[in-house]
Amino acid sequence: MHQVIYIEEAVADHPRTKSICARFPKATKVYCKHYGEIFNRKAQNFRLQKKQPALILAHKHTKHVLDAPDGYGVGGRRNYYFSHMLNCLYDCRYCFLQGMYRSANYVIFVNYEDFQQSIVATAQQHPNEELWFFSGYDCDSLAYEPVTEFTKEFLPTFRQLPNAHLELRTKSLQIRTLLKSEPIKNCVVAYSFTPDEISQALEHGVPAVEKRIEAMVKLQQHGWRLGLRFDPMIYQQGFEQIYQRLFEQIFSRLSTSGIHSVSLGTLRTPKAFHQNMVNLYPKEKLFAGRFEENCGMITYQKELEQQMTEFCHDQLMQYIPQSLFFACTPPE
Amino acid sequence: MINILTALPCEARPLIEHYRLRGNARHSAFRCYQNDEVQLLICGIGKLAAATATAYLAASEPQRSYAWLNIGIAGHATKPIGEAVLANKIIDAATGQQSFPGIVMPIPCASETLTTVDKPEPHYRETSMVDMEASGFYAAASRFQSCELIHALKIISDNQHHNTDNISENRAIALINDNIITIESVINELRQLAAELDSIKQTPAEIYAFMEQWRFTTYQQNELRLLLRRWHALTPAMPPAPHDFTEYNNSKAVLAAIKGRLDAQPIRFDEANK
Repeated sequence: MHQVIYIEEAVADHPRTKSICARFPKATKVYCKHYGEIFNRKAQNFRLQKKQPALILAHKHTKHVLDAPDGYGVGGRRNYYFSHMLNCLYDCRYCFLQGMYRSANYVIFVNYEDFQQSIVATAQQHPNEELWFFSGYDCDSLAYEPVTEFTKEFLPTFRQLPNAHLELRTKSLQIRTLLKSEPIKNCVVAYSFTPDEISQALEHGVPAVEKRIEAMVKLQQHGWRLGLRFDPMIYQQGFEQIYQRLFEQIFSRLSTSGIHSVSLGTLRTPKAFHQNMVNLYPKEKLFAGRFEENCGMITYQKELEQQMTEFCHDQLMQYIPQSLFFACTPPE
Repeated sequence: MINILTALPCEARPLIEHYRLRGNARHSAFRCYQNDEVQLLICGIGKLAAATATAYLAASEPQRSYAWLNIGIAGHATKPIGEAVLANKIIDAATGQQSFPGIVMPIPCASETLTTVDKPEPHYRETSMVDMEASGFYAAASRFQSCELIHALKIISDNQHHNTDNISENRAIALINDNIITIESVINELRQLAAELDSIKQTPAEIYAFMEQWRFTTYQQNELRLLLRRWHALTPAMPPAPHDFTEYNNSKAVLAAIKGRLDAQPIRFDEANK
């Protein structure tokens, strides 16, 4: 529940602003000229704001669709991302958002139609190619569905674009809209996982691993194509056992035939973001491990990365064909 | 710890009594009262006085994380006299500059825009409180502290039915006194946030013992601080002590030894869950 909703004056009368505000009748509405006045100011603390994030309703003027970073993809040659929302309901200690943004408040850009037009225009520029659009880069794609109605609004756009694929990346159990909708072939609902032990310690507010698996089972039974994202892999002593157990836990419940892709990624954070994260949580064990800097990114040591990737890859190969596997590591 | 700023002695008096604050003669530029947890400064009327006093107080003890609260009386067109209202937006009337205090705590009262004017205005503004200090206070405090820890809490003293002619010193004292529970609630929340921020920024206590034993350059001191912080994250129950490193005779060797021990530490998150 939000105590305060900041609203850009320009979107005060937008129907989506009104419907979102109606969900929080007790929240105080505060009007601003531009969301950056609140979201991008210098003197603010992400950690303190995470206790009680405010909602910011804004208009996104440009750059509705952006090129996805290197290594972010599942086989497509042209990868894009778009963010109708900035920040996540969850509080995963490894998440780069806490190092990238100064504010933990949630920004929702209410002009969905502009995003949809950009997606359509991008797809039409490359009519003979398969394009991938990722919606879970700056937020969890499903977690705020009751408020944003994101999938309800965006699935119809992709339904009419056969060459455009949508990845909904999530850890959320908010699947009601998907279960009410006819599945579309060019949409993958991709769930992120770390083993239970790590999830409990580092993924604050995230549904338990078993609950996420249950949600995936329901989606699979309904006909949705699924993705599995083990990205980032988090190291702990004896990681082999806990990752082995996680894979068993997942593949004993899911049929591989409905799985579109499985990806593995190592923990990698731009140095400046990493430093911000350490300063926010200096007592966090995750940041006290052995890291090294590679091309401006903070990563585990090379040998450890290789060891984890090889082990997890080998384990996954017991359950899936190589064709479904993707390594999410940027080229050096 | 919290720093409170009031413009007038009559706004301060109920707080001085409630918190049993004592005068601090160390501060000669402004009248200052304090106990171990609360510091109160009377700045005088106007945003310039408020900004000056805030900067003065912030600069006098830069090491700690203070919360900042501007308490005082304010006018509002329609709000009832005596209502406590927390500012959720502060507008400087002269420049149009807007600031947004970060509200991350439960608010025990209404919240509203607050406009700071340079001189008393004959008419009330629509949907905004009016005062003469908050924009200066906020602009100065935000140089030193995060927005979640800077707030302005005002008690409505006049409105379009009861104008400023009715305000006296005794009336101002009564208005603050009548809202002391709300004020205390805001102060307690802010003190907790300040304590949390302080604990995040805290330098590991052992650093001083290490610095007494070996000579570290400024660069090395920073490295030592980061290593000790890592140590606390990995083994919070076993803080490092200089006597564990007595075989090393210079700072470089000590830093390498600490790093070596940390790198050899196994990392397990499931232990943290227990």
